[in-house]
Amino acid sequence: MRRRLLLLAGAAALAAVAFSGDRFWLQFLGKAMIGCILAIGLDLLVGFTGLVSLAHSAFFGLAAYALAGLTNGLGLTSPLATLPLCLGAAAAAALIIGWLSLRATGVYFIMVTLAFTQMLYYFFNDAPSLGGSDGLYVQARPVDSRLAAYLAIWASLIAVYLLLSQMLRAPYGRVLEGIRGNEQRMRSLGFPTRRYKLVAFVIAGATAGLAGYLDATLYGFVTPAQLGWRQSGLILVTVLLGGKGTLYGPAFGALLLAFIEHYGEQVTEHWNALIAALVIAVVLFLPRGLAGLLQGRPRG
Amino acid sequence: MAEALIETRGLTRRFGALAAVDGVSLSFEKGRLHAVIGPNGAGKSTFLNLLSGELRASAGRVLLGGADVTRAPPDRLSRLGVGRAYQTANLFPELSCGDCVWLAAQSRLPSSMHFFRPAERYSQVGVRAARALEACGLGQRSAAIAGQLSYGEQRQLEIAMVLATDPVLLLLDEPLAGLGHDEALRVVALLREVARGRTAILVEHDMDAVFSISDSVTVLVDGRVLVSGKPEEIRRSTAVRDAYLGGDFA
Repeated sequence: MRRRLLLLAGAAALAAVAFSGDRFWLQFLGKAMIGCILAIGLDLLVGFTGLVSLAHSAFFGLAAYALAGLTNGLGLTSPLATLPLCLGAAAAAALIIGWLSLRATGVYFIMVTLAFTQMLYYFFNDAPSLGGSDGLYVQARPVDSRLAAYLAIWASLIAVYLLLSQMLRAPYGRVLEGIRGNEQRMRSLGFPTRRYKLVAFVIAGATAGLAGYLDATLYGFVTPAQLGWRQSGLILVTVLLGGKGTLYGPAFGALLLAFIEHYGEQVTEHWNALIAALVIAVVLFLPRGLAGLLQGRPRG
Repeated sequence: MAEALIETRGLTRRFGALAAVDGVSLSFEKGRLHAVIGPNGAGKSTFLNLLSGELRASAGRVLLGGADVTRAPPDRLSRLGVGRAYQTANLFPELSCGDCVWLAAQSRLPSSMHFFRPAERYSQVGVRAARALEACGLGQRSAAIAGQLSYGEQRQLEIAMVLATDPVLLLLDEPLAGLGHDEALRVVALLREVARGRTAILVEHDMDAVFSISDSVTVLVDGRVLVSGKPEEIRRSTAVRDAYLGGDFA
Protein backbone atom coordinates (compact mmCIF):
# COMPACT_ATOMS: atom_id res chain seq x y z
CA MET A 1 0.00 0.00 0.00
CA ARG A 2 2.70 2.43 1.08
CA ARG A 3 4.67 1.33 -1.96
CA ARG A 4 1.77 1.99 -4.29
CA LEU A 5 1.25 5.48 -2.92
CA LEU A 6 4.93 6.28 -3.33
CA LEU A 7 4.90 5.07 -6.91
CA LEU A 8 1.80 7.10 -7.73
CA ALA A 9 3.31 10.19 -6.12
CA GLY A 10 6.53 9.66 -8.06
CA ALA A 11 4.70 9.26 -11.36
CA ALA A 12 2.61 12.38 -10.68
CA ALA A 13 5.70 14.40 -9.76
CA LEU A 14 7.47 13.35 -12.95
CA ALA A 15 4.38 14.31 -14.96
CA ALA A 16 4.16 17.69 -13.20
CA VAL A 17 7.69 18.55 -14.31
CA ALA A 18 6.40 18.53 -17.88
CA PHE A 19 4.24 21.55 -17.11
CA SER A 20 7.13 23.53 -15.68
CA GLY A 21 8.48 23.63 -19.21
CA ASP A 22 12.03 23.99 -17.90
CA ARG A 23 14.40 22.80 -20.61
CA PHE A 24 17.02 21.51 -18.25
CA TRP A 25 14.67 19.44 -16.15
CA LEU A 26 12.90 17.99 -19.17
CA GLN A 27 16.20 16.83 -20.58
CA PHE A 28 17.60 15.67 -17.27
CA LEU A 29 14.56 13.76 -16.03
CA GLY A 30 13.82 12.45 -19.51
CA LYS A 31 17.26 10.90 -19.52
CA ALA A 32 16.79 9.60 -15.99
CA MET A 33 13.48 7.95 -16.90
CA ILE A 34 15.13 6.27 -19.87
CA GLY A 35 17.53 4.83 -17.30
CA CYS A 36 14.50 3.61 -15.33
CA ILE A 37 13.12 1.76 -18.36
CA LEU A 38 16.49 0.14 -18.93
CA ALA A 39 16.80 -0.93 -15.31
CA ILE A 40 13.26 -2.30 -15.10
CA GLY A 41 13.78 -4.32 -18.27
CA LEU A 42 17.03 -5.80 -17.02
CA ASP A 43 15.41 -6.59 -13.67
CA LEU A 44 13.06 -8.93 -15.51
CA LEU A 45 16.15 -11.01 -16.37
CA VAL A 46 18.40 -10.49 -13.35
CA GLY A 47 15.82 -10.29 -10.58
CA PHE A 48 12.98 -12.46 -11.79
CA THR A 49 14.55 -15.06 -14.03
CA GLY A 50 18.04 -15.29 -12.53
CA LEU A 51 19.78 -14.43 -15.80
CA VAL A 52 22.62 -11.90 -15.66
CA SER A 53 22.87 -10.41 -19.13
CA LEU A 54 25.46 -7.93 -20.35
CA ALA A 55 23.71 -7.51 -23.69
CA HIS A 56 21.11 -5.03 -22.48
CA SER A 57 22.96 -2.00 -23.88
CA ALA A 58 23.34 -3.73 -27.24
CA PHE A 59 19.57 -3.71 -27.80
CA PHE A 60 19.41 -0.11 -26.62
CA GLY A 61 22.04 0.90 -29.16
CA LEU A 62 20.62 -1.19 -31.98
CA ALA A 63 17.21 0.45 -31.72
CA ALA A 64 18.83 3.90 -31.62
CA TYR A 65 20.92 3.12 -34.71
CA ALA A 66 17.82 1.68 -36.36
CA LEU A 67 16.03 4.99 -35.84
CA ALA A 68 18.98 6.91 -37.28
CA GLY A 69 19.03 4.55 -40.26
CA LEU A 70 15.30 4.82 -40.90
CA THR A 71 15.16 8.60 -40.70
CA ASN A 72 18.44 9.37 -42.48
CA GLY A 73 18.31 6.63 -45.06
CA LEU A 74 14.64 6.15 -45.79
CA GLY A 75 13.18 9.42 -44.59
CA LEU A 76 10.85 7.61 -42.21
CA THR A 77 10.09 9.64 -39.09
CA SER A 78 6.53 8.97 -37.98
CA PRO A 79 6.54 7.11 -34.65
CA LEU A 80 3.80 4.87 -36.06
CA ALA A 81 6.36 3.47 -38.49
CA THR A 82 9.66 3.92 -36.70
CA LEU A 83 8.67 2.73 -33.24
CA PRO A 84 7.47 -0.75 -34.29
CA LEU A 85 10.40 -1.15 -36.67
CA CYS A 86 13.01 -0.16 -34.10
CA LEU A 87 11.46 -2.31 -31.37
CA GLY A 88 11.20 -5.13 -33.89
CA ALA A 89 14.89 -4.78 -34.71
CA ALA A 90 15.85 -4.91 -31.02
CA ALA A 91 13.56 -7.88 -30.40
CA ALA A 92 14.86 -9.75 -33.43
CA ALA A 93 18.44 -9.20 -32.31
CA ALA A 94 17.47 -10.38 -28.82
CA LEU A 95 15.89 -13.48 -30.31
CA ILE A 96 19.07 -14.41 -32.17
CA ILE A 97 21.53 -13.45 -29.41
CA GLY A 98 19.31 -15.04 -26.76
CA TRP A 99 18.83 -18.22 -28.73
CA LEU A 100 22.59 -18.63 -28.95
CA SER A 101 23.51 -17.35 -25.47
CA LEU A 102 20.94 -19.42 -23.60
CA ARG A 103 22.70 -22.58 -24.68
CA ALA A 104 25.18 -21.58 -21.99
CA THR A 105 24.36 -21.15 -18.33
CA GLY A 106 25.77 -19.33 -15.32
CA VAL A 107 28.97 -17.39 -15.86
CA TYR A 108 29.28 -18.70 -19.44
CA PHE A 109 25.96 -17.10 -20.29
CA ILE A 110 27.26 -13.78 -18.96
CA MET A 111 30.41 -14.12 -21.04
CA VAL A 112 28.54 -14.95 -24.24
CA THR A 113 26.24 -11.93 -23.85
CA LEU A 114 29.34 -9.80 -23.20
CA ALA A 115 30.98 -11.12 -26.35
CA PHE A 116 27.95 -10.29 -28.51
CA THR A 117 27.78 -6.80 -27.03
CA GLN A 118 31.42 -6.11 -27.79
CA MET A 119 31.05 -7.56 -31.27
CA LEU A 120 28.27 -5.08 -32.01
CA TYR A 121 30.21 -2.26 -30.39
CA TYR A 122 33.20 -2.80 -32.66
CA PHE A 123 30.97 -3.26 -35.66
CA PHE A 124 29.45 0.20 -35.22
CA ASN A 125 32.68 1.76 -33.96
CA ASP A 126 34.70 0.58 -36.96
CA ALA A 127 32.19 1.33 -39.70
CA PRO A 128 32.89 4.78 -41.20
CA SER A 129 29.59 4.70 -43.11
CA LEU A 130 27.81 4.45 -39.73
CA GLY A 131 29.72 7.37 -38.29
CA GLY A 132 32.42 5.32 -36.59
CA SER A 133 33.17 6.31 -33.04
CA ASP A 134 31.41 9.68 -33.53
CA GLY A 135 28.09 8.00 -34.12
CA LEU A 136 25.20 9.36 -36.16
CA TYR A 137 22.78 12.24 -36.00
CA VAL A 138 19.08 11.50 -36.30
CA GLN A 139 18.28 14.09 -38.93
CA ALA A 140 14.54 14.17 -38.35
CA ARG A 141 13.20 13.05 -34.98
CA PRO A 142 9.90 11.21 -34.53
CA VAL A 143 8.62 14.02 -32.29
CA ASP A 144 9.89 17.55 -32.72
CA SER A 145 9.55 19.10 -29.29
CA ARG A 146 11.43 18.30 -26.14
CA LEU A 147 8.14 18.35 -24.23
CA ALA A 148 6.58 15.75 -26.53
CA ALA A 149 9.66 13.55 -26.14
CA TYR A 150 9.47 13.93 -22.37
CA LEU A 151 5.81 12.93 -22.27
CA ALA A 152 6.50 9.96 -24.54
CA ILE A 153 9.25 8.81 -22.18
CA TRP A 154 7.01 9.25 -19.16
CA ALA A 155 4.17 7.28 -20.76
CA SER A 156 6.60 4.56 -21.88
CA LEU A 157 8.00 4.15 -18.38
CA ILE A 158 4.53 3.80 -16.87
CA ALA A 159 3.47 1.39 -19.61
CA VAL A 160 6.57 -0.82 -19.24
CA TYR A 161 6.17 -0.92 -15.48
CA LEU A 162 2.48 -1.83 -15.60
CA LEU A 163 2.87 -4.39 -18.36
CA LEU A 164 5.76 -6.17 -16.67
CA SER A 165 4.00 -6.14 -13.26
CA GLN A 166 0.93 -7.67 -14.83
CA MET A 167 2.99 -10.25 -16.68
CA LEU A 168 4.81 -11.27 -13.52
CA ARG A 169 1.49 -12.04 -11.81
CA ALA A 170 0.32 -14.15 -14.74
CA PRO A 171 1.19 -17.83 -15.25
CA TYR A 172 4.21 -16.80 -17.32
CA GLY A 173 5.62 -14.83 -14.38
CA ARG A 174 5.19 -17.80 -12.08
CA VAL A 175 7.23 -19.90 -14.47
CA LEU A 176 10.04 -17.34 -14.38
CA GLU A 177 9.95 -17.38 -10.59
CA GLY A 178 10.21 -21.17 -10.68
CA ILE A 179 13.14 -21.03 -13.09
CA ARG A 180 14.98 -18.63 -10.81
CA GLY A 181 14.35 -20.91 -7.83
CA ASN A 182 15.16 -24.29 -9.38
CA GLU A 183 15.40 -24.56 -13.13
CA GLN A 184 16.18 -28.27 -13.24
CA ARG A 185 13.06 -29.03 -11.23
CA MET A 186 10.98 -26.87 -13.56
CA ARG A 187 12.13 -29.03 -16.46
CA SER A 188 11.20 -32.19 -14.64
CA LEU A 189 7.77 -30.69 -13.93
CA GLY A 190 7.25 -30.38 -17.68
CA PHE A 191 8.32 -26.82 -18.49
CA PRO A 192 10.63 -26.38 -21.50
CA THR A 193 12.57 -23.76 -19.55
CA ARG A 194 14.86 -22.53 -22.31
CA ARG A 195 11.87 -21.38 -24.35
CA TYR A 196 10.52 -19.42 -21.38
CA LYS A 197 13.91 -17.83 -20.75
CA LEU A 198 14.23 -16.89 -24.41
CA VAL A 199 10.86 -15.13 -24.33
CA ALA A 200 11.99 -13.18 -21.24
CA PHE A 201 15.22 -12.28 -23.02
CA VAL A 202 13.31 -10.98 -26.05
CA ILE A 203 10.87 -8.97 -23.91
CA ALA A 204 13.76 -7.44 -21.98
CA GLY A 205 15.56 -6.73 -25.27
CA ALA A 206 12.48 -4.98 -26.61
CA THR A 207 12.24 -2.75 -23.51
CA ALA A 208 15.92 -1.86 -23.92
CA GLY A 209 15.15 -1.10 -27.55
CA LEU A 210 12.32 1.17 -26.48
CA ALA A 211 14.75 3.01 -24.20
CA GLY A 212 17.23 3.37 -27.07
CA TYR A 213 14.54 4.67 -29.40
CA LEU A 214 13.47 7.25 -26.83
CA ASP A 215 17.06 8.26 -26.16
CA ALA A 216 17.75 8.87 -29.84
CA THR A 217 14.48 10.81 -30.00
CA LEU A 218 15.40 12.97 -27.02
CA TYR A 219 19.02 13.67 -28.00
CA GLY A 220 18.96 13.30 -31.74
CA PHE A 221 22.14 11.25 -31.98
CA VAL A 222 23.56 7.85 -31.21
CA THR A 223 27.13 6.72 -30.53
CA PRO A 224 28.70 3.27 -30.33
CA ALA A 225 29.75 3.95 -26.72
CA GLN A 226 26.07 3.74 -25.78
CA LEU A 227 25.92 0.09 -26.72
CA GLY A 228 29.24 -1.02 -25.27
CA TRP A 229 29.48 -3.31 -22.29
CA ARG A 230 30.22 -0.44 -19.86
CA GLN A 231 26.65 0.72 -20.31
CA SER A 232 25.39 -2.79 -19.63
CA GLY A 233 27.53 -2.89 -16.51
CA LEU A 234 26.07 0.40 -15.33
CA ILE A 235 22.51 -0.84 -15.80
CA LEU A 236 23.37 -3.97 -13.86
CA VAL A 237 24.76 -1.84 -11.03
CA THR A 238 21.55 0.20 -11.09
CA VAL A 239 19.46 -2.94 -10.70
CA LEU A 240 21.51 -4.19 -7.76
CA LEU A 241 21.57 -0.78 -6.11
CA GLY A 242 17.81 -0.37 -6.37
CA GLY A 243 16.97 -3.93 -5.38
CA LYS A 244 16.58 -6.72 -7.90
CA GLY A 245 13.36 -8.60 -8.26
CA THR A 246 11.10 -5.64 -7.45
CA LEU A 247 10.85 -3.61 -10.71
CA TYR A 248 10.30 -0.36 -8.80
CA GLY A 249 13.61 -0.70 -6.92
CA PRO A 250 15.76 -0.55 -10.06
CA ALA A 251 13.67 2.37 -11.36
CA PHE A 252 14.37 4.21 -8.13
CA GLY A 253 18.03 3.26 -8.40
CA ALA A 254 18.20 4.80 -11.87
CA LEU A 255 16.69 8.09 -10.67
CA LEU A 256 19.04 8.20 -7.72
CA LEU A 257 22.10 7.56 -9.87
CA ALA A 258 21.07 10.33 -12.25
CA PHE A 259 20.87 12.80 -9.36
CA ILE A 260 24.16 11.68 -7.87
CA GLU A 261 25.81 12.07 -11.24
CA HIS A 262 24.38 15.54 -11.74
CA TYR A 263 25.10 16.98 -8.31
CA GLY A 264 28.25 14.94 -7.80
CA GLU A 265 29.75 16.48 -10.92
CA GLN A 266 29.36 19.92 -9.40
CA VAL A 267 31.13 18.89 -6.22
CA THR A 268 33.98 16.77 -7.53
CA GLU A 269 35.18 15.35 -10.81
CA HIS A 270 35.57 12.04 -9.01
CA TRP A 271 31.83 11.59 -8.59
CA ASN A 272 32.17 8.05 -9.89
CA ALA A 273 33.92 7.24 -6.62
CA LEU A 274 30.80 8.41 -4.78
CA ILE A 275 28.71 5.96 -6.74
CA ALA A 276 31.22 3.19 -6.15
CA ALA A 277 31.13 3.82 -2.39
CA LEU A 278 27.34 3.82 -2.42
CA VAL A 279 27.19 0.56 -4.34
CA ILE A 280 29.64 -1.11 -1.98
CA ALA A 281 27.67 0.11 1.05
CA VAL A 282 24.37 -1.11 -0.38
CA VAL A 283 25.72 -4.52 -1.37
CA LEU A 284 27.25 -5.00 2.09
CA PHE A 285 24.47 -3.62 4.27
CA LEU A 286 21.33 -3.79 2.15
CA PRO A 287 21.54 -7.04 0.21
CA ARG A 288 18.06 -6.46 -1.14
CA GLY A 289 19.00 -3.03 -2.38
CA LEU A 290 17.33 0.26 -1.56
CA ALA A 291 13.93 -1.38 -2.14
CA GLY A 292 14.71 -3.49 0.93
CA LEU A 293 14.25 -0.35 3.04
CA LEU A 294 10.63 -0.19 1.91
CA GLN A 295 9.84 -3.82 2.50
CA GLY A 296 10.75 -3.87 6.15
CA ARG A 297 11.94 -7.14 7.61
CA PRO A 298 12.75 -9.98 5.22
CA ARG A 299 9.96 -12.45 4.65
CA GLY A 300 10.29 -15.99 5.92
CA MET B 1 0.45 -60.77 -18.38
CA ALA B 2 -0.81 -57.21 -18.19
CA GLU B 3 0.29 -54.60 -20.66
CA ALA B 4 3.67 -52.95 -20.08
CA LEU B 5 3.57 -49.21 -19.49
CA ILE B 6 7.30 -48.66 -19.73
CA GLU B 7 9.95 -50.95 -21.07
CA THR B 8 13.71 -50.81 -21.39
CA ARG B 9 15.68 -52.76 -23.97
CA GLY B 10 19.39 -53.20 -23.43
CA LEU B 11 19.48 -49.85 -21.64
CA THR B 12 23.06 -48.82 -20.97
CA ARG B 13 24.74 -45.77 -19.52
CA ARG B 14 28.49 -45.49 -19.34
CA PHE B 15 30.50 -42.95 -17.37
CA GLY B 16 33.92 -43.27 -18.96
CA ALA B 17 34.92 -46.89 -18.64
CA LEU B 18 32.27 -47.64 -16.04
CA ALA B 19 28.91 -48.97 -17.16
CA ALA B 20 26.64 -47.74 -14.37
CA VAL B 21 23.64 -49.30 -16.10
CA ASP B 22 24.61 -52.19 -18.31
CA GLY B 23 22.17 -53.72 -20.79
CA VAL B 24 19.07 -53.58 -18.60
CA SER B 25 15.95 -55.00 -20.23
CA LEU B 26 12.90 -54.69 -18.01
CA SER B 27 9.20 -54.36 -18.51
CA PHE B 28 6.97 -52.62 -15.96
CA GLU B 29 3.31 -53.54 -15.99
CA LYS B 30 0.58 -50.98 -15.79
CA GLY B 31 -1.06 -50.35 -12.45
CA ARG B 32 1.63 -51.98 -10.31
CA LEU B 33 4.21 -50.76 -7.85
CA HIS B 34 7.61 -52.00 -8.89
CA ALA B 35 10.63 -51.76 -6.64
CA VAL B 36 14.24 -51.62 -7.79
CA ILE B 37 16.73 -52.52 -5.10
CA GLY B 38 20.43 -53.16 -5.00
CA PRO B 39 23.58 -52.30 -3.08
CA ASN B 40 25.11 -48.83 -3.26
CA GLY B 41 26.50 -48.12 -6.70
CA ALA B 42 24.30 -50.73 -8.34
CA GLY B 43 23.03 -48.11 -10.79
CA LYS B 44 19.54 -47.64 -9.35
CA SER B 45 19.52 -43.85 -9.45
CA THR B 46 21.19 -43.81 -12.85
CA PHE B 47 18.47 -46.14 -14.08
CA LEU B 48 15.80 -43.76 -12.78
CA ASN B 49 17.58 -40.78 -14.35
CA LEU B 50 17.55 -42.57 -17.70
CA LEU B 51 13.80 -43.17 -17.40
CA SER B 52 13.10 -39.53 -16.51
CA GLY B 53 15.29 -38.16 -19.30
CA GLU B 54 17.78 -36.48 -16.99
CA LEU B 55 20.53 -38.67 -18.37
CA ARG B 56 20.96 -39.74 -21.97
CA ALA B 57 21.35 -43.45 -22.65
CA SER B 58 24.68 -44.57 -24.12
CA ALA B 59 22.90 -47.48 -25.77
CA GLY B 60 19.57 -49.24 -25.69
CA ARG B 61 16.04 -47.94 -25.74
CA VAL B 62 13.20 -46.79 -23.50
CA LEU B 63 9.64 -47.38 -24.66
CA LEU B 64 6.71 -45.61 -23.02
CA GLY B 65 3.37 -47.07 -24.02
CA GLY B 66 5.17 -48.62 -26.97
CA ALA B 67 6.63 -45.30 -28.25
CA ASP B 68 10.37 -44.74 -28.30
CA VAL B 69 11.23 -41.99 -25.80
CA THR B 70 14.94 -42.77 -25.42
CA ARG B 71 16.06 -39.28 -26.39
CA ALA B 72 13.14 -37.30 -24.98
CA PRO B 73 14.14 -34.46 -22.59
CA PRO B 74 12.70 -34.36 -19.03
CA ASP B 75 10.05 -31.72 -19.79
CA ARG B 76 8.67 -33.77 -22.66
CA LEU B 77 8.60 -36.95 -20.58
CA SER B 78 6.81 -35.09 -17.81
CA ARG B 79 4.16 -34.01 -20.28
CA LEU B 80 3.84 -37.60 -21.44
CA GLY B 81 2.98 -38.52 -17.86
CA VAL B 82 6.29 -39.46 -16.25
CA GLY B 83 6.44 -37.87 -12.78
CA ARG B 84 9.72 -37.86 -10.92
CA ALA B 85 10.17 -37.45 -7.15
CA TYR B 86 13.69 -36.85 -5.93
CA GLN B 87 15.79 -38.39 -3.21
CA THR B 88 17.25 -35.18 -1.83
CA ALA B 89 14.67 -32.46 -1.48
CA ASN B 90 14.46 -30.79 -4.85
CA LEU B 91 11.92 -28.07 -4.15
CA PHE B 92 11.67 -24.34 -4.59
CA PRO B 93 13.13 -23.49 -1.19
CA GLU B 94 11.99 -19.86 -1.18
CA LEU B 95 8.40 -20.53 -2.20
CA SER B 96 5.51 -21.59 0.01
CA CYS B 97 4.20 -25.16 -0.19
CA GLY B 98 1.13 -23.81 -1.91
CA ASP B 99 3.21 -22.05 -4.58
CA CYS B 100 5.44 -25.10 -5.15
CA VAL B 101 2.43 -27.31 -5.82
CA TRP B 102 0.83 -24.53 -7.83
CA LEU B 103 3.77 -24.54 -10.26
CA ALA B 104 3.49 -28.30 -10.58
CA ALA B 105 -0.24 -28.08 -11.29
CA GLN B 106 0.27 -25.17 -13.69
CA SER B 107 2.56 -27.37 -15.78
CA ARG B 108 -0.58 -29.19 -16.98
CA LEU B 109 -1.93 -26.10 -18.73
CA PRO B 110 -1.42 -26.61 -22.46
CA SER B 111 1.02 -23.71 -22.24
CA SER B 112 2.11 -21.22 -19.59
CA MET B 113 2.78 -18.48 -22.13
CA HIS B 114 -0.04 -16.42 -20.65
CA PHE B 115 1.04 -12.88 -19.96
CA PHE B 116 -1.98 -10.93 -18.73
CA ARG B 117 -4.58 -12.77 -16.67
CA PRO B 118 -3.39 -13.13 -13.06
CA ALA B 119 -2.37 -16.71 -12.27
CA GLU B 120 -4.76 -17.10 -9.34
CA ARG B 121 -7.71 -16.76 -11.73
CA TYR B 122 -6.80 -20.09 -13.32
CA SER B 123 -9.05 -21.89 -10.90
CA GLN B 124 -8.56 -25.38 -12.33
CA VAL B 125 -4.86 -25.06 -11.44
CA GLY B 126 -5.72 -24.01 -7.90
CA VAL B 127 -8.10 -26.92 -7.43
CA ARG B 128 -5.56 -29.42 -8.69
CA ALA B 129 -2.84 -27.96 -6.47
CA ALA B 130 -5.02 -27.93 -3.35
CA ARG B 131 -6.08 -31.50 -3.96
CA ALA B 132 -2.48 -32.72 -4.26
CA LEU B 133 -1.45 -30.86 -1.12
CA GLU B 134 -4.41 -32.30 0.77
CA ALA B 135 -3.70 -35.83 -0.46
CA CYS B 136 -0.18 -35.62 0.93
CA GLY B 137 -1.28 -34.38 4.34
CA LEU B 138 -0.08 -30.81 3.82
CA GLY B 139 -3.51 -29.21 3.48
CA GLN B 140 -2.84 -27.03 6.53
CA ARG B 141 0.72 -26.13 5.53
CA SER B 142 0.02 -24.26 2.32
CA ALA B 143 1.62 -21.04 3.56
CA ALA B 144 4.74 -22.66 5.05
CA ILE B 145 8.00 -21.95 3.24
CA ALA B 146 9.30 -25.10 1.53
CA GLY B 147 12.90 -24.63 2.64
CA GLN B 148 11.86 -24.54 6.30
CA LEU B 149 9.84 -27.77 6.39
CA SER B 150 10.96 -30.81 8.35
CA TYR B 151 12.61 -33.62 6.43
CA GLY B 152 9.45 -35.70 6.40
CA GLU B 153 7.27 -32.80 5.30
CA GLN B 154 9.70 -31.98 2.49
CA ARG B 155 9.31 -35.55 1.28
CA GLN B 156 5.52 -35.16 1.45
CA LEU B 157 5.74 -31.93 -0.53
CA GLU B 158 8.01 -33.61 -3.04
CA ILE B 159 5.35 -36.25 -3.62
CA ALA B 160 2.55 -33.66 -3.66
CA MET B 161 4.33 -31.80 -6.46
CA VAL B 162 4.60 -34.94 -8.54
CA LEU B 163 0.97 -35.81 -7.85
CA ALA B 164 -0.15 -32.36 -8.97
CA THR B 165 1.21 -33.17 -12.44
CA ASP B 166 -1.20 -36.12 -12.51
CA PRO B 167 1.39 -38.62 -13.75
CA VAL B 168 0.63 -42.05 -15.21
CA LEU B 169 4.06 -43.27 -14.14
CA LEU B 170 5.64 -42.30 -10.83
CA LEU B 171 9.40 -42.53 -10.42
CA LEU B 172 10.25 -42.48 -6.73
CA ASP B 173 13.90 -42.16 -5.76
CA GLU B 174 14.48 -43.38 -2.19
CA PRO B 175 11.51 -41.56 -0.68
CA LEU B 176 12.37 -42.93 2.79
CA ALA B 177 16.08 -42.09 2.88
CA GLY B 178 17.04 -40.11 5.99
CA LEU B 179 13.61 -40.27 7.61
CA GLY B 180 12.98 -41.24 11.21
CA HIS B 181 10.83 -44.27 11.98
CA ASP B 182 7.54 -42.40 12.42
CA GLU B 183 8.10 -40.18 9.42
CA ALA B 184 8.98 -43.22 7.34
CA LEU B 185 5.74 -44.96 8.35
CA ARG B 186 3.78 -41.88 7.35
CA VAL B 187 5.49 -41.69 3.96
CA VAL B 188 5.01 -45.43 3.35
CA ALA B 189 1.27 -45.03 3.99
CA LEU B 190 1.28 -42.07 1.62
CA LEU B 191 3.13 -44.02 -1.07
CA ARG B 192 0.67 -46.86 -0.79
CA GLU B 193 -2.13 -44.35 -1.24
CA VAL B 194 -0.70 -42.47 -4.23
CA ALA B 195 0.44 -45.63 -6.02
CA ARG B 196 -3.08 -47.00 -6.03
CA GLY B 197 -4.39 -47.06 -9.56
CA ARG B 198 -1.08 -45.80 -10.94
CA THR B 199 2.15 -47.33 -12.09
CA ALA B 200 5.15 -46.64 -9.91
CA ILE B 201 8.83 -47.50 -9.92
CA LEU B 202 10.35 -47.21 -6.49
CA VAL B 203 14.07 -47.19 -5.80
CA GLU B 204 14.58 -47.86 -2.11
CA HIS B 205 17.00 -49.10 0.52
CA ASP B 206 14.46 -49.85 3.22
CA MET B 207 13.80 -53.57 2.69
CA ASP B 208 10.79 -53.85 5.00
CA ALA B 209 9.05 -51.06 3.14
CA VAL B 210 9.93 -52.54 -0.25
CA PHE B 211 8.61 -55.98 0.56
CA SER B 212 5.48 -54.63 2.20
CA ILE B 213 4.27 -52.33 -0.56
CA SER B 214 5.61 -53.53 -3.91
CA ASP B 215 4.04 -55.91 -6.41
CA SER B 216 7.34 -56.82 -8.04
CA VAL B 217 10.99 -56.43 -7.17
CA THR B 218 14.05 -56.16 -9.40
CA VAL B 219 17.53 -56.53 -7.97
CA LEU B 220 20.29 -54.58 -9.71
CA VAL B 221 23.93 -55.43 -9.07
CA ASP B 222 26.79 -53.68 -10.88
CA GLY B 223 24.35 -52.14 -13.33
CA ARG B 224 22.84 -55.48 -14.37
CA VAL B 225 19.61 -57.21 -13.48
CA LEU B 226 20.40 -59.99 -11.04
CA VAL B 227 16.86 -61.19 -10.66
CA SER B 228 13.35 -59.90 -11.07
CA GLY B 229 10.15 -61.33 -9.59
CA LYS B 230 7.50 -61.23 -6.92
CA PRO B 231 8.61 -59.98 -3.49
CA GLU B 232 8.38 -63.42 -1.87
CA GLU B 233 10.50 -64.99 -4.61
CA ILE B 234 13.16 -62.35 -4.15
CA ARG B 235 13.07 -62.81 -0.40
CA ARG B 236 13.72 -66.55 -0.85
CA SER B 237 16.34 -66.21 -3.58
CA THR B 238 19.75 -67.38 -2.39
CA ALA B 239 21.48 -65.47 -5.17
CA VAL B 240 20.01 -62.25 -3.85
CA ARG B 241 20.97 -63.12 -0.31
CA ASP B 242 24.54 -63.80 -1.30
CA ALA B 243 24.94 -60.83 -3.59
CA TYR B 244 23.22 -58.21 -1.63
CA LEU B 245 21.09 -58.89 1.36
CA GLY B 246 23.77 -60.54 3.45
CA GLY B 247 23.65 -63.80 5.38
CA ASP B 248 21.73 -62.42 8.33
CA PHE B 249 18.73 -61.47 6.24
CA ALA B 250 15.64 -63.46 7.13
